[in-house]
Formats: sequence, C-alpha cells, structure tokens
Amino acid sequence: MSGLFGSLSVALSGLSVSQQEMETTSNNVANANTPGYTREVSDVTAGDPVEMGSLSIGTGVVLQKIESLRDPMLQIQINQATQQNSSLNASLTQLQQIQTQFASDTSGIGADISNFFNSLQQLSPDPSDLTLRQGVLTAADTLATDFNNAAQSLQTQRSNVDQNVVQSVSQVNSLTSQIASVDQQISALQGVNQDPGTLVDTQNNLIQQLSALVDVQVIPTDQGITLATSNGTTLVSGSQSFALTTQGIDGVQHIFSGTEDISSSLTGGSLAGLIQIRDQEIPSIGTSLDQLAAGLATNLNAANAKGLDLENPPVQGGNIFATPPAGGVGAAATLTVSMTDPSLIAASSDGTTGSNGNLANLSAVANQDVANGQTPIDAYSTLVGQVGSTTSNTSADADASNAILQQLQDQNGSVSGVSLDEEASNLIQYQSAYQAAARVVSTVNLLLLDAVNLGMDAAEE
Amino acid sequence: MRVNPNPMPDLMAALNQTELEEQQAELQISTGKSVNEPSDNPTAAALLVENNDQATFNSGYLQSISAVQGQLSTASSTLSSATTALQQALSLGVEAGGGTLSASDQAAIANQLQGIQSQLVSLANTTYEGNYIFAGTKTSTTPYVLDSNSPDGVDYVGNTHVNEVSIGNGYKLAVNVPGSQLFSAPGNDVFLAINNLIQAVQTNTGIGTAVNAVSAASSYLSAQTVLYGNATDQTQSETTYLNAAQLQISQQQNTLGGANMAAAATNLSQAQTDNQAALAAISKLSQDNLFNYLT
Repeated sequence: MSGLFGSLSVALSGLSVSQQEMETTSNNVANANTPGYTREVSDVTAGDPVEMGSLSIGTGVVLQKIESLRDPMLQIQINQATQQNSSLNASLTQLQQIQTQFASDTSGIGADISNFFNSLQQLSPDPSDLTLRQGVLTAADTLATDFNNAAQSLQTQRSNVDQNVVQSVSQVNSLTSQIASVDQQISALQGVNQDPGTLVDTQNNLIQQLSALVDVQVIPTDQGITLATSNGTTLVSGSQSFALTTQGIDGVQHIFSGTEDISSSLTGGSLAGLIQIRDQEIPSIGTSLDQLAAGLATNLNAANAKGLDLENPPVQGGNIFATPPAGGVGAAATLTVSMTDPSLIAASSDGTTGSNGNLANLSAVANQDVANGQTPIDAYSTLVGQVGSTTSNTSADADASNAILQQLQDQNGSVSGVSLDEEASNLIQYQSAYQAAARVVSTVNLLLLDAVNLGMDAAEE
Repeated sequence: MRVNPNPMPDLMAALNQTELEEQQAELQISTGKSVNEPSDNPTAAALLVENNDQATFNSGYLQSISAVQGQLSTASSTLSSATTALQQALSLGVEAGGGTLSASDQAAIANQLQGIQSQLVSLANTTYEGNYIFAGTKTSTTPYVLDSNSPDGVDYVGNTHVNEVSIGNGYKLAVNVPGSQLFSAPGNDVFLAINNLIQAVQTNTGIGTAVNAVSAASSYLSAQTVLYGNATDQTQSETTYLNAAQLQISQQQNTLGGANMAAAATNLSQAQTDNQAALAAISKLSQDNLFNYLT
C-alpha cells in the first residue's frame, strides 16, 4: 500500500509504538525502587518494506517485544557470593557472642585459675590459718562457678542456634514452594511465547533470598528450572518443590531431605554457618573447657590426697572438687567444689598443723599438664587465642565477602538498574517521536482534504 | 560503560563502615585498651592471659614475702635476746667461779641463773601470729617444757621439719629453723649448758667447765642468727626483683593491649570526617535527576 493512506498507516505505527515505549519507560520509572526489578527496554524494528517495482517502501515501525535486561552469569555469581556471605556473617555473629566470654584477662576462668593458685600461695606461710584456708575454697568456688557459667552460656547459645536452624529450614521450604509456583507461571507464559519479564525478576529475587539460607545451584531445564544444593539434594524441580524436614538427633535438629541427613553437607548460606557453629565451634570450645575443668579437678584432688588435713588426728586429704565425669564430658558444666570445711585442705605433709609440705604438691598443679599436654593457664590462654583468631579470620573473610557481593551487585545494577536520567532522556525522545508522528497524521489529513475537495476552493475564489 | 544508577547500597555500606570505625576508636579511647575482645588481636589476648597470671603470681609472692619477713625478724630478734641472756649467764658463772663468794651469794647466783633458764625457755617458745616458730612444723604445740628429770632440764616436743615458702617462680625459701637445731643442738645444747652451770654453781664444783660450755653454746646460737639474716636478705632482694618484674609486666600489658591514644583520637576524627562525607553524599543523592530539568 502506498500513497497518502500508506503514509497515514506508517504514522499510526509510529504513534502506537511511541506510546508503548512511553509505557515501558513509565513502568521503569514506577519500579525504580522495586527490589529485584530489572529495567525493561522496547525492542523496535522497522516494518518489512513493500517492494514496488524497483522501489522498496517502508511500512513503519514494529514493536517486537519488551525485554528485561539482565545478565544471567552475574545472577549466578551473585547467588554464589550471597551463599558464602550469609554463611560467614551467620558464623561471625555467633562467634562474636562466644568471644565475649573470653574477653577479659583480669576476670573469668583465666583469672580464676591464677587467683586459685594465688590463694594456695597465700596459705603457704601460715598453713593452719582458717581464714586463708577459706580463701582457697572461695577461690575454688569462683573458678567452678565461672566454668559452669561458661559451659551454660555456650549450651544456651547452641540451643538458640539450633532453633535458628529450624526456622531457617522452614524459610527454605516456604521459598522453594514460592519459587516452584512462580516457575509454573513462567512456563505457562513461555508456552504461549510471552515474555515472563517481571515473573523472572520475582523468581530471581526469591532464589537470591534462598541463597542467603542455603547453597543452591540453578540448573535451567526444558521444564523450568531445577534448584539443587551442592551435594545434589533437589529442592525445586520445575513446578514441584521438595520440603526439607528437621529431626532431633543427640539434642540438636538435623536437616533431612527425604531420609537423607544433609546437615553436614551444606556448604553455603546461613544454614551452613549456623550448623558449623552449632556442630563444630561450640562443641570444640566446650570440649576444651571440659578437658581443662576435668584436668584441674582430677590433678588437684590427687594432690590433696597426698597430704594430711587439719583434723585431730589428721586424715589423708579428700576431694576438693566432685570427681569429674568419666572422659571429662560435661566436666565444665558440672564442676563443683565438694569440700565445704576449710580444715579438710590437706596442706600438711607430716600430719602437723604447721606443715605446708603438701601445699607444694597442690601448687605444682599450676605447672602440670592438665589438658592437651598444657598447664592450666596455658590451656586457657590457647583457647582464648583460638577463639580470637577464629573470630578474627571469619570477620576478615566476611569483610572480603561483603565487598565482593557489593561489587557484583554494583555490576548487576549497571546492567539492570533503572536510571531515572536515562528514562527521562528516553521520554523526551519518545515524546518527540510521538509529536512528529502526530504532525505527519495531521499533515496527511490536510493533504487528504485537499485531495477530496480537489479544485473546489480555487473555484470559489 | 553504563554505571550503576543506584549508588545507595554502596553509600550505606560506607556509612556503616565509618560508624563502625568511629565506635572502635571510641571504645579504645574509653577503655584505654586496644584489645577489647580476643578477635581484636588473638595473639595479644592469649598473651595477656599469661601476663595476668604472672602478675597475680608475683603479687602473691610479694604478699608471702611480707608475711614471711615478720616471722623471720621475730625469730632473729628472739635469738639476739637469747644470746644476751646467755652473756648474762656467762658473767654470772664467771663471778660464781671466782671462789670469793659466800655460800648464800652462790645460791643467789644459782637463783638468777634459774631465772635466765626460764627466760630462755620462754624465748624458745616464742610465737608469731599464734604459731610457735621454733617447734619445727608442730607450730601449735609449745616446743620446750621444763623437765627436772631431763639432763638439760627441758624436753623438746617439737619436730625437726622445715617449711618452705615460694617467693618466686621455682624459688623456695626455708622459713623456720627447728628449736632442736638452735637451742638444743647436739654438742651445743644451750639448755644443757645452762642447766649444768646451775648445778655447778649450786654444788660449787666444775664451774669453769660449765662456763666454757655456756660460752660455746652462746657463740653457736649467735652464729645461727645468720640463717635468718640470710633469709631476710633473700626476701629483700627478691622483693626488688619482683617489683621490677611487675613493672615490666605492666609495661608489656600496655604494649600488648593498651590503646595508642594519639592514634585512636586521630582514627576517631578521621572516621568522623568520613562519616560526615558519607552522610553528605547520601543527602545530596537523588535530589537531582534529569526529570527535574524537564519543563
């Protein structure tokens, strides 16, 4: 088709495409602050030309599609970085809480150990003095209480983390079921060749939230996407999601996929960080405390048994601390001073009240290997160093991971973020195009009028 | 290249970071410590535990030393008093052995000597803070009791054990000498000498021999004072050492965990400047875009 009517239809296509382009811009502007929104651009091409003899005449403009601009590779990197970042940050938060117990060099278990041995030293010049003897028992009590408190607060933190794990698993299940349901909608749209646009944004956003909890990989398939953890546990397959379950084993909740326990095989997301703290860090610190408490109690009891107490007649020294559990498990939590009468401290080596001979044996425990081949204060100092360096390393890793994630998100923003400047400039462009097309329509209209009223105006003149 | 149109997350991260730095600097300034939790410096945190342990031990040693010094000086002055008493006995014995005194004068001297004997018993039974200091480790039992049937007129019921007190790492000091080594040492038995002198004066026979024995016992006892003098010297030099060590430990503590105030103050001011810059950037942001210029 050619001629004036042809021009009219070409101008009309310009009007309608400009309008649709302005709609796209308007949608971008409206969603400028929508999380996960990917900017959309209109993909326009020139209409297929009409061949007329040797002439090729254009037929206007065609809107092919409205396309979301995203980089799938970046999306994958962001998900991976999110998994690592969440895992580290979850660990770090817990470690920072744990280390507060080991923060002071002048109070807490370390200082208690020093003070206990100091109380023995004070008794040494005057071994029959009951006030000084009571001082030893009081120092022992403080030591035992601080061991109990440390063990207790580790236990409390462990059960808080455990609850956190259960909550995270239920969040994972909720997210996977949403992802599956969105996937179904996307497949339906793709089935009729429509651009799922913002649905993909929604799904990506959900996957990113899921990545904050657990390590997932996105595998695109013909039937939508498959989400699997790095150990191969499928969480979503197309429109179907598979819920994880939790089950209490040895006092903590393990995560199951079907009948398989996947607790220890998670490598990313806050779940991995929490499980690492719950199953590795806290038990390891707890074991160190147990060994130290058990070693101290056992060696001090043994040293006390080598001497004689203040009774008349003197009796071989009994236990200062209640015998720690076999193997030391739970020793820190249950450490108690069983001796209540200060005259039962076996300071004497010869049975006289003035002898301090056995105090040397008790004091010598300070230099004996009581835990992991280390003296009490060395064992505690090593533990403080370990807790500190684990926290400090995790903190450094988390900082690095924050920076990586931030940079990836910057890159993603540079591809997919809505720029208001850009939209404004597009708007001017589309507005001008619309105005120009409208001018063409009005011009053609005038010309058509001239054609319809051919000569009439001239005759009247 | 297209830039990220939304720099807000970056700015928020910068704001967060500057606030964290402000907090850290403020914490250092308020606590005066650079190691406020183990992760601030794990190695230093571990060393500070050891450091505090050594400081506790050192102050314990210093306390023990002052407890021990009291006992040592009491023992030492007791021995001096005993030596003085023996000197008196010696001159009385010389007087009695002169052969010019009447029987009643001799008897009076014998009486005086008996007084010195009980003074010596009382000195040998000296207590420090309720404990007999010459009883070996039987510190709750009176070590010397008068016994007229005994050749030396007394019985020693203490023991021969010695207590040691640590006054430094691996440094033990014997803090008592049993009476059996001081007052009733075989061969230099003070009580035997004085008892023999009393009998010699009473019977007016062998006074010269008895006087020589008292003289020998007195010299021996006087020489023993050196033991206490040595011990006291050791405690004094150890006190000097421990005080120096404590000073060094507190310097180490400061080096390991003390805050560098100048640096912390500079950090604080830097962090505040950075924080203000971040805030200014955020407040300027998104005020301006092309839409504002469209008419």
